[in-house]
Amino acid sequence: MSEDAAAMDRRVRRAAKLLFYKRHRQPGVRGWELRRTLGEGYPRVIELLNQRLEGLDLQVSVVHEEGTDRERGMPDLDRARFYVTLKGSLSTSDLVMAGWRVDDVAALTVTTALIISREGKVARRDVEAILREKFPRWRVDHNLNRFIRLGYLVQDEHDVLFLGWRSRAEIDEKLLLKLILGEPMKQEKLT
Amino acid sequence: MSRRSNQDRERLLRIISLCIAVESRGTDPFEVEVQEVLNTLRKYLPNWKALEDFVLDSETLRRIAGIVRLQGDWVKRRSTSLFVDPLLVEVKLKLMGTQRLLEVFQKSWHPVVEMEGLSRRRVEQAIDYWNLLASLDARRLQLPEPSDTLSSLTAEELIKRSILSEESFRKTLERLWEELREKVGAAGRILYWDFVQQKTYDETVKRAYLVSFLITYGYATMRINPLEEELYLVPNAEITEPAFGKQALTIPIAIDRETWERRRGNKN
Repeated sequence: MSEDAAAMDRRVRRAAKLLFYKRHRQPGVRGWELRRTLGEGYPRVIELLNQRLEGLDLQVSVVHEEGTDRERGMPDLDRARFYVTLKGSLSTSDLVMAGWRVDDVAALTVTTALIISREGKVARRDVEAILREKFPRWRVDHNLNRFIRLGYLVQDEHDVLFLGWRSRAEIDEKLLLKLILGEPMKQEKLT
Repeated sequence: MSRRSNQDRERLLRIISLCIAVESRGTDPFEVEVQEVLNTLRKYLPNWKALEDFVLDSETLRRIAGIVRLQGDWVKRRSTSLFVDPLLVEVKLKLMGTQRLLEVFQKSWHPVVEMEGLSRRRVEQAIDYWNLLASLDARRLQLPEPSDTLSSLTAEELIKRSILSEESFRKTLERLWEELREKVGAAGRILYWDFVQQKTYDETVKRAYLVSFLITYGYATMRINPLEEELYLVPNAEITEPAFGKQALTIPIAIDRETWERRRGNKN
């Protein structure tokens, strides 16, 4: 291995440590932090790390301050946040093992889809009204508060819900809406 | 002030509230009847006499302009092919069963991988710290022996040690209270910054500090005009009981040198 390749290898390993280990209250590393530690060529280092992670079904996701990089023409990488996320999807059993109830995931799906479809914000009472059609009141309150705590949602002083940092990092918003809109218009048996 | 004028003002305040609600909740901007509001403003305009009424009128107009902008955006959004009808999404979501919702979410969900752990270096630092840390008994020995006799300090000694100022704090507050009452005059109130702003930055900060105690101890009240975004100080005729324990409102006011210089410039 040449000296350059060895140096790059060290930088990739350093990047992996930075991205995997939580350094702040929320996971992920800002672009400027990567620049400070890995140097000017940090996007190339991240690219190489991404190639290595692919074999493990993992990927580096870049989330810009507002929306994802897919939504912006000229992203400012320094201000973006970099995360390691799962590339594929979790099976239902993995999801349950991770502490998610099926009902909770359904509630999160409904809430995030409503927010995305309504230009990024929706009144909490509107979400509650829809969720209460299928879930008990206490469970709806518990779930919404939990989603806020986990960073999936943010609530402002007017009780309006927005997508939180975790939703922006973890949920493919376009795909979610596409799948929902692709559903046939027939009512399924409620579980 | 006629009853009619009051009703007109209330109407404008209701319109402003509606505009704020539409802007903040992202509801349909066409819920606001812009033409009707403009007609109302035109009807009320000749009756306004006070400056506050004109401010209210212009604020309503500003809010309506915001609604018109939202309506424009709304039309643009709906005319693009990327638009997703929220009602259609809502209907689809209501028709989907829990299991199907789970499947849809699974496909579009890529959870963040995060780990928590100690680095080897941090563990080494912790071991070094532990090894160098003296026992609690050894550290207790380093504490100064308490003096045998307790004695009281005189006011002169406290002043010498800069613990107490020559003038008692309460007297300072009362003098400031008196000054505030003189300055408000017949208006009964004064702009916060007009009262706090002084020739030097240090004096301004000191005065703002004292004013905060005037309010906390019930010598004065702070009023906020949300439309003009201005703070007013209103001296109380008598000292009222502090509202500790009740749901009091805390208003942080930043006084940085830049703001002070800007305000001093405006004043000059």
